[in-house]
Amino acid sequence: MALKITDACTNCGKCAPECPNDAIEELDDICVIDPNLCQECQGVYDQPRCAEVCPVNCCVPLKV
Amino acid sequence: MSNVRMDAKGFRDYLNQEKVRWCPGCGNHGILRTMTKAFADLDLNPSKVAVISGIGCSSRLPYYLNTYGFHTLHGRAPTVATGLKLARPDLSVWVVTGDGDCLAIGGNHFIHLARRNLDINVVIFNNAIYGLTKGQASPTTAAHTITKSTPYGVEEPTLNPLSLAISAGASFVARTIDTHLDHMQEVFRAAYQHPGTSIIEVLVNCIIFNDGVYDDLENQATFPDTVIALSSERGLIFGKDSNRALCFDPYLNASACTQAECDPTEWQAMIQQHYDSSQKQWALAMSTLDPEHLPTAIGVLYQNKNAVHSSHINHQPQSEEPFDLQALLNGQSKS
Repeated sequence: MALKITDACTNCGKCAPECPNDAIEELDDICVIDPNLCQECQGVYDQPRCAEVCPVNCCVPLKV
Repeated sequence: MSNVRMDAKGFRDYLNQEKVRWCPGCGNHGILRTMTKAFADLDLNPSKVAVISGIGCSSRLPYYLNTYGFHTLHGRAPTVATGLKLARPDLSVWVVTGDGDCLAIGGNHFIHLARRNLDINVVIFNNAIYGLTKGQASPTTAAHTITKSTPYGVEEPTLNPLSLAISAGASFVARTIDTHLDHMQEVFRAAYQHPGTSIIEVLVNCIIFNDGVYDDLENQATFPDTVIALSSERGLIFGKDSNRALCFDPYLNASACTQAECDPTEWQAMIQQHYDSSQKQWALAMSTLDPEHLPTAIGVLYQNKNAVHSSHINHQPQSEEPFDLQALLNGQSKS
């Protein structure tokens, strides 16, 4: 289980420092989630933290 | 900026390699991205675009664009843009400004830009606070807001940028929201295609000094009830189940009603009365809806496609006599 960031990402950088697993990397113009590190914040937050703080709601489940 | 590209294929080609220095989570990131996407969508030549800014967080935007740009004096972006458009009418001129830069110190220049109606697109980043100077009240800060400069709350009425623009004679007036990126791109496209001055107010969240000021409008769950998207293809309908409508009395005072309150024929008539953005009085009423009881109108509020715009200035007849500057300075000029 992991989340992914869609191409609606504005690279605002809000999510990366919030991730408890350091799974988010800021590239030049978009952020990406490493699916091997993302655990959807289980045991840390009630909801996936990146999806909660993302202003444009572009952090979505990897597999729908 | 001699390295401005002559062609571009995607939004990345309108961005340079500069590190974007806005706070993480700031709404300005969304505007920067959407603006570059709109440029790419319109297939603009980056060397034919000039983005002029004043002072403020918003006005850092030209730093990050791979187009021409000018970071000017506080509030004076409209004047520089006016001169630029007169000298180079072939350029697509954009002004990026904030609520402080445009409506406080630059208010005078703003109304004359709207009045002259040159083909300039103005994007006002309205976060209702002075963010760069760390949180003082701006002309658009809502009443009773506690800020660093108003410890007992703002006591002054707020200034409505869109009502001002419509009254000053702007021929295209629109509003959008920083998190509604697709809507914003549509508005940018419409503004570019409009031949006169286009005023676009973008409601932006300042995540540090005025966080949550537009929460109701940005939140996915609440925005259907707090935002009405104007379109020439639908009536003034809003609400989660499209079951609420805006109604106007003969004096254009607005009120909201629900489908259950109306009889079916009345409701059908309301749905079928589409918004007409060419009506100035209607646009003024839309721009001033009371946010406490009524939704906030977004989209193109006013567009006068027939407005005379000042492109004819560039076709004024030129004098055939050679111009002598020294004679003019000496008071010897005939004219």
